[in-house]
Amino acid sequence: MTSQEKIQQEIEQTLQCLDGVKRADANPFLFTRIKARMDRKANIWERAFSFISKPAIAVAFVVAVMAVNGWALWDKSGPGTVETVTAENGSELANEYNVVASVDNYDYENLTNE
Amino acid sequence: MINETELIEQLKQGDETAFKTIVEQWKDMVYNTILGIVQNETEAEDLAQDVFIKVFEKINTFKGDSKFSTWLYRIATTTALDHLRSKKRKKRFGFLQSLGGEGDEKESIPDFHHPGVSLDNKERATVLFKAIGALPENQKAAYTLHKLEGLSYRDVSEVLNTSVSAVESLMSRANQNLRKQLEEYYNKHYK
Repeated sequence: MTSQEKIQQEIEQTLQCLDGVKRADANPFLFTRIKARMDRKANIWERAFSFISKPAIAVAFVVAVMAVNGWALWDKSGPGTVETVTAENGSELANEYNVVASVDNYDYENLTNE
Repeated sequence: MINETELIEQLKQGDETAFKTIVEQWKDMVYNTILGIVQNETEAEDLAQDVFIKVFEKINTFKGDSKFSTWLYRIATTTALDHLRSKKRKKRFGFLQSLGGEGDEKESIPDFHHPGVSLDNKERATVLFKAIGALPENQKAAYTLHKLEGLSYRDVSEVLNTSVSAVESLMSRANQNLRKQLEEYYNKHYK
């Protein structure tokens, strides 16, 4: 058998080596790990919400928003107001820039080939 | 035993027992698919977790137009390919950093041994997996689903949301590419 024939034989055997391969088993504790991750994720949000809803944080946020609004009003009514051009509505802007509504990344049932 | 439709309905209500049943029933299928694509057991386990979390969060978008297993395969394949893409991006960034003088460690790709391959085929399978790893994304996904999960071309076409003839063409190109790579490998190792 020539070396080229031997190589061809090796290639054929290698290509066939996955025939009848067994499925790899996942970790038997996969669900426990998933649950722990989901709980951790929920915990992060819980902590974030409890931080935001603290009276001191909430009051400080409201005061900051009011201060920004007040400053904006004072700035606009004062001298040297800059004239701005605004788009009449969102769709006009979207048409002008040819913006297409985005597709949900998780809409796996309606994927389109690109 | 509860049937698939009931399980899905219960999961839509947020039932944890239904979720556990779904994970236990489909975990090997999801893990094996991801493992075939990413070729790394630790990453495959993390990604399998991601897939089931997505299933839990997005079950309400499942309308039942396709089989549940098809939907799962689709999420698993997309998640695995996204992971490979982000890894590639990071590698490119690392390369740029090494050009700039930072992070000059070279990463070598370790050999992958699929746990389902018989002992006498282990060495050959390692060579084949290396070649599969170098295939373009779509070919890699089609080849893995067909060879490792044993899906028919029709089932693969449903998962990849394409036609059966497109899958035939993907598989034929994948085989051509694999032959080319194996030829190079054996030519180098026989001389």
